[in-house]
Amino acid sequence: MLTSIRAELIKQTRRPANWLLLAIAAVLTLTFAYAIPYAGLSSGPSGAPGSGRGLPSMLPEAFVGNALGGVPIFVGALALVFGVLVAGSEYGFQTWKTVLAQRPSRFTAYGSKLAVVAIANLIGVLTLFAAAAGGSAAVAALEGAPMNWPSAGDIVLGMGVGWLVMTMWGACGALLGIAFRSVALPIGLGLVWMLAIQNLLASIAAPALEFVGELQKVLPGPNTGALAAAMGAASETPGVDALVGSGHATIVVAGYLVAFCALGGWLMHRRDIL
Amino acid sequence: MTNSAVAVAVDGLRVIRGGREVLRSVSFDVPRGSVTGLLGPSGCGKTTLMRAIVGVQIVAGGTVTVLGQPAGDPLLRDKIGYATQNAAVYADLTVTECLTYFASVLRVDDPAADARRVIADVDLTDHAGKLVGNLSGGQRGRASLAVALLGTPELLVLDEPTVGLDPVLRDDLWTLFHRIAERGTTLLVSSHVMDEAARCDRLLLMREGVLLADDTPEGLRAHTEQSDLEQAFLRLVRESEAAA
Ligand SMILES: Nc1ncnc2c1ncn2[C@@H]1O[C@H](COP(=O)(O)OP(=O)(O)OP(=O)(O)O)[C@@H](O)[C@H]1O
Ligand SMILES: [Mg+2]
Repeated sequence: MLTSIRAELIKQTRRPANWLLLAIAAVLTLTFAYAIPYAGLSSGPSGAPGSGRGLPSMLPEAFVGNALGGVPIFVGALALVFGVLVAGSEYGFQTWKTVLAQRPSRFTAYGSKLAVVAIANLIGVLTLFAAAAGGSAAVAALEGAPMNWPSAGDIVLGMGVGWLVMTMWGACGALLGIAFRSVALPIGLGLVWMLAIQNLLASIAAPALEFVGELQKVLPGPNTGALAAAMGAASETPGVDALVGSGHATIVVAGYLVAFCALGGWLMHRRDIL
Repeated sequence: MTNSAVAVAVDGLRVIRGGREVLRSVSFDVPRGSVTGLLGPSGCGKTTLMRAIVGVQIVAGGTVTVLGQPAGDPLLRDKIGYATQNAAVYADLTVTECLTYFASVLRVDDPAADARRVIADVDLTDHAGKLVGNLSGGQRGRASLAVALLGTPELLVLDEPTVGLDPVLRDDLWTLFHRIAERGTTLLVSSHVMDEAARCDRLLLMREGVLLADDTPEGLRAHTEQSDLEQAFLRLVRESEAAA
């Protein structure tokens, strides 16, 4: 198993697409958490979302929330794309059969995929935190504001939350990749769900229909938003909303993570993939 | 069943695919350390038979025993190398990265060295640093073939490994197959080119899911009184049609 995980990890590091995803996540986080609000700060409210936020939200003290601001929407979506690529590309290249016909068992092969998703998202969350820390330090330096950092405990807790949410979406992507045995359709459907349907549910359906409002409390997206909100992400960020408590949200998100992993494993085990 | 002189024993194998019986009671033995050719026209069931031997095909009846174990047994996993008819390699990795990955999951001692060895075996050393997606069709096929050669498989099942290659490369590969067989490895190689049949130790001729012949090239020539294997095969087809 360890050999398989290492081999899988090395393989993924050789793929330019994965580094691109990581770079996009970091750049988008910096843009929306620092660059745009900072530009808005100096040029007066421009009406762009997030541009009306004050200086305190950009200082090092608040960087954990800023690092997690994009996690419910675009960072989660990128994690989902990554999960689809990790599992689904094996179908596109017809390599599952090369891997499985002779070598590791299906359990080992699938397990190493999940392990790589988890490890890669850890790298991803560390990158986001490093980027946000750098962004907030830059703002503090430019404005001559004090550099007060959050406690190590808060930082680690924030990283844990980010990792949990991203790994949950990554496992969701892997499940979709396996279910559709491809890359394009699962990415498309996953993004439609995350970026369109989730927002429509939250902004149109939930206020109008009570049962949708209740449903929101057990769907993955709103729970990830609640986790980000609990960690201090700005509540005007799309997808960030303290709809439920952080304990409830943690349990739901972890539940989805386990369910996605189990369902993907069951499909791998049961179906003829060749 | 543990006959050490026999690498693959197929007995009364029946396979149904897409509602049709594509293998109808096929029986034969493949001796160890030989190069056995599996020949027949397109759609006759060569790939299906190979899948059954590798253990990835649901069978409707009969038995397939590979190296003393039932086909598909986990014990066989690192003893069989299987190159599928379509190239099955990562297009977004280089040849070296791709083979090193497969060598690592196979858990050979030195994955990088083993990858270099098989890349040289299939004559891709000059292209080792290229992305698989940028290789020509024949080169990609050889990269896929190289995966099957990794480690020390006791049985190599190669599905049309020489298709789309020029005569010189085809000749090189057949020389390689015999070199591998000399080390005691058993090879089962499919083709629908009859001129490759002459390079096999034994021949299995199939047509429409039925085994027409299981013989050496010389035996086949003698039996059909044809010096040309292509003619010999046509003769067998006629005989089987007349008998039906
Ligand atoms: N996935 C499938 N579902 C249903 N029928 C199939 C499937 N794959 C192959 N068949 C049928 O099984 C028969 C044997 O196919 P097979 O692939 O074994 O032929 P082959 O001898 O390898 O042909 P070729 O030389 O063209 O590769 C064919 O009639 C084919 O139509
Ligand atoms: Mg075939």
